[in-house]
Amino acid sequence: MSRIGVFVCHCGENISRTVDVERVAAQVGKMPGVAFATDYKYMCSDPGQTLLKKTIQEQKLSHVVVAACSPRMHEKTFRKAVEAAGLNPYLCEMANIREHCSWVHEDKQEATAKAIEIVGMLVERVKKNRVLPTITVPVTKRSLVIGGGIAGIQAALDIADCGHEVILVEREPSIGGHMAQLSETFPTLDCSQCIMTPKMVDVANHPKITLYSYSEIEQVDGYIGNFQVTIRRKARSVDEDKCTGCGICMEKCPVKKIPNKFDCNLGMRPAIYVPFPQAVPNTPVIDRDNCIKFKTGKCGLCQKVCGPGAVDYEQEDRLVVEPVGAIVVATGFDLYTIDEKPKGSMIKGYGEFGHGKIPDVIDGMTFERLASASGPTGGKILRPSDGKEPKQIVFIQCIGSRAREKGISYCSKVCCMYTAKHTMLYHHKVHDGQAYVFFMDARTPGKAYDEFWRRSIEEEEAVYIRGMVSRLYQKGDKIVVMGSDIAVGVQVEIEADMVVLATAIQPRTGADSLAQKLGISYDKYNFYSEAHAKLRPVECATAGIYLAGACQGPKDIPDTVSQASAAAAKVMTLFAKDKLEREPIVARVKEAGCVGCFACKKVCAYGAVEEKEIRDRQGNLIKVVAYVNPGVCGGCGTCQATCPSKSVELDGYTDEQIVAMIEAL
Amino acid sequence: MKDKLNYSYYPGCSLHASAGEYDLSTRELFKQLSIGLTEVPDWFCCGATPAHNVDELLSLSLCAKNLELAEQVEGDLAVACAACFSRLKTTQHVLAESDVKRKQVEKAIDAPLKLDGKVKHLLEILARDLGLERLAASVKKPLAGLKVACYYGCLLTRPPDVTNLDCVEAPTIMEDVLKAVGAETVAWSHRMECCGANFTLSRPGVVIQLTNAILESAKEAGADCVMVACPLCHGNLDIRQKEIEGVYSVNYGLPVFYITQLVGLACGLSADKLGLGALIVNPMPLLKEKQLL
Repeated sequence: MSRIGVFVCHCGENISRTVDVERVAAQVGKMPGVAFATDYKYMCSDPGQTLLKKTIQEQKLSHVVVAACSPRMHEKTFRKAVEAAGLNPYLCEMANIREHCSWVHEDKQEATAKAIEIVGMLVERVKKNRVLPTITVPVTKRSLVIGGGIAGIQAALDIADCGHEVILVEREPSIGGHMAQLSETFPTLDCSQCIMTPKMVDVANHPKITLYSYSEIEQVDGYIGNFQVTIRRKARSVDEDKCTGCGICMEKCPVKKIPNKFDCNLGMRPAIYVPFPQAVPNTPVIDRDNCIKFKTGKCGLCQKVCGPGAVDYEQEDRLVVEPVGAIVVATGFDLYTIDEKPKGSMIKGYGEFGHGKIPDVIDGMTFERLASASGPTGGKILRPSDGKEPKQIVFIQCIGSRAREKGISYCSKVCCMYTAKHTMLYHHKVHDGQAYVFFMDARTPGKAYDEFWRRSIEEEEAVYIRGMVSRLYQKGDKIVVMGSDIAVGVQVEIEADMVVLATAIQPRTGADSLAQKLGISYDKYNFYSEAHAKLRPVECATAGIYLAGACQGPKDIPDTVSQASAAAAKVMTLFAKDKLEREPIVARVKEAGCVGCFACKKVCAYGAVEEKEIRDRQGNLIKVVAYVNPGVCGGCGTCQATCPSKSVELDGYTDEQIVAMIEAL
Repeated sequence: MKDKLNYSYYPGCSLHASAGEYDLSTRELFKQLSIGLTEVPDWFCCGATPAHNVDELLSLSLCAKNLELAEQVEGDLAVACAACFSRLKTTQHVLAESDVKRKQVEKAIDAPLKLDGKVKHLLEILARDLGLERLAASVKKPLAGLKVACYYGCLLTRPPDVTNLDCVEAPTIMEDVLKAVGAETVAWSHRMECCGANFTLSRPGVVIQLTNAILESAKEAGADCVMVACPLCHGNLDIRQKEIEGVYSVNYGLPVFYITQLVGLACGLSADKLGLGALIVNPMPLLKEKQLL
């Protein structure tokens, strides 16, 4: 016979204002199985918890129901108190009479009646609760970081500095990401390369970091503490161990005129190349699509001139499997392009800007390369079309951002600041030039940000025009910018030599397929979703996977670095224990009834359902049944709802318990 | 081959007056393409710009009555004039969105509305219903070597959720049709700009300025001629062209065709049947030079 204790909380006046708590306690006290019932002003307070613990011991209670707020609020609090009093914590349940009752009703009599029913249901349910042992999972104290931009680099360095091994995977031939492409950074105008490259070198030299550049994630198996990650190391055609980075292969390569993606296609590179001189690793890669050897079988010059014999045309993609305990996703962003988008795409292009057919209409990243001392023009601002210095330059903000009609409604966050920076860089380099900026709003929240923006207007002579541009077209060698100045209420036409578009930040192409491999969720734009927008901003809902940088949403460098360090701290928290403890609210399969249809496997969002073979003593296979890995199960109950033979049940939410709750009504 | 296409036809006032050649060439082209065209009996003015500036209920009711008349005739409603097209589509859109307005309008015209028929511009019929392939197959004299600046004006694609004709900022439907009949189209900057429309009567100075920019940009892009699908655009670009040349001391000499005239020409219709003689900027020298007559 159960001896259930019921504790009804007033929650100050939050509950007692509309629910007669004393009556609830009195009524529930009469229910079969209830040995004790009382009410108290603040159950979650220290005296409230002491009352709970004392009563459990004095009354020899077998189960506890706390009628108070939502279990999301205080279930952990009360289960801990129950455990301290010597009961299994999972023999304690909460009846929500605040959010589900007192907060949403006005009539005290009706609300009290409802509260009694809610508590009654939980009394019936808790009677059937089982003692559940805490689940422990071993932890592999190695971490995977996906993406070698500033986010991935920062997270990798922080984790490695703490003494844990890190596998850093980068898709491109070099780490560095977008930050390596930037010229100067706001709001201090320090050179991006100067602050970035030392960190890249630290990664290369760190004894705890294994860098897989030119590699991609192929497959992810396992669960928190125990992931198995398969990495595709794409054929570089150059042996990283032998190559000394002397660069003679690049000098001798007869193919010289391939547009360099790193320079936004402004500069040229050979077929065997490093994307930029400060690349890490400083090992070239052969672009097989453009290499004469791979296209015709002739040439082979790079192999002949390579002293250490590092060039290897036979190299193939290799798959490497790495066991890790935690994953930091830091895949960054792509820039929106104004060209025509595929039919049926949610996102549209800018036909009114000529779909990017005018050569001197460039995006902000291209301007960065023009302004960069290590860029294709050596830091001179020159037009791509004819190499002339633009004397009138127009910057247009919010291209794709905050443009619902184009399919993107969010703000890309960094464009106001980098456009202000661009006007300054322009003014420093072209003294007799004039910069105009079309903008909707200037969004400059950040330390020293607004001061920076004001400086671009007050000291660097940029003319800011509040209003948007309707159209761009080429007229002779000028670009006509047709816009409106809504502050004055007039149409504006500027004949510009160059136009720079502050294009929106979008998730990387293929972000969705990586998310599917990882089993993490993403929003309609393919930005990865955090577990809680405010309180768990760097964790995914999938345990053991963390987010850093712009893959989660548009971010500037300071925010990205902060989030990367936060993600690293989360990984280190996980690695602080040898074994993980987790809530045992997981699904269990009743193998006798399971017919092995695996409908549960199809619906499981966590990838927790595995196939298990049942064999007799001679080892003959009898049947294959579902097995729920308790380390992975998220306790959502979808499998239970799906199973046609009712052979899988979530502990604490079994069919029997739910029926008992309904019958209590 | 699909069944024969049949449409009810709403010419609108302009086509019975200043744009008679648009009406004539439309009827002749459709006959040539074996597309049925039955004029809506007893149709009247759609209200055009004045009505909706004065009284919404009046403007909706005028169009609704015309739609109701068109419902008596088989087939979707074919419209040639961009302004009529815009008003009829707007009326359908507004009445479909608002039950209150629909009831008011039904009371005003004293008839129930079905609102199930489609209103289609001639361009849509040629490019989509007939289809570019079948259109190309009907060509007898491809317009080879003729460089055309396709001029959309304001109302064909705007507002996008009402007209639903093509991409609002970078439409291609006119170019698609012309390419199907063998013409060359030029890429130019002012194909979506406003010509000034009916300010031609009250503020001709504004219209001359706007229209000059359009003609200048077409000429700069290397066009031989301009093609339109709206009688008002046609009036401003064609009738006013001589005057504009005088004001700005330039010489454009750009014939301005209706879409049905150029497509008709490619389909083998004669200059008379297409009303080419009614154009103010004489197209004959150009067409002779290109050996299209």
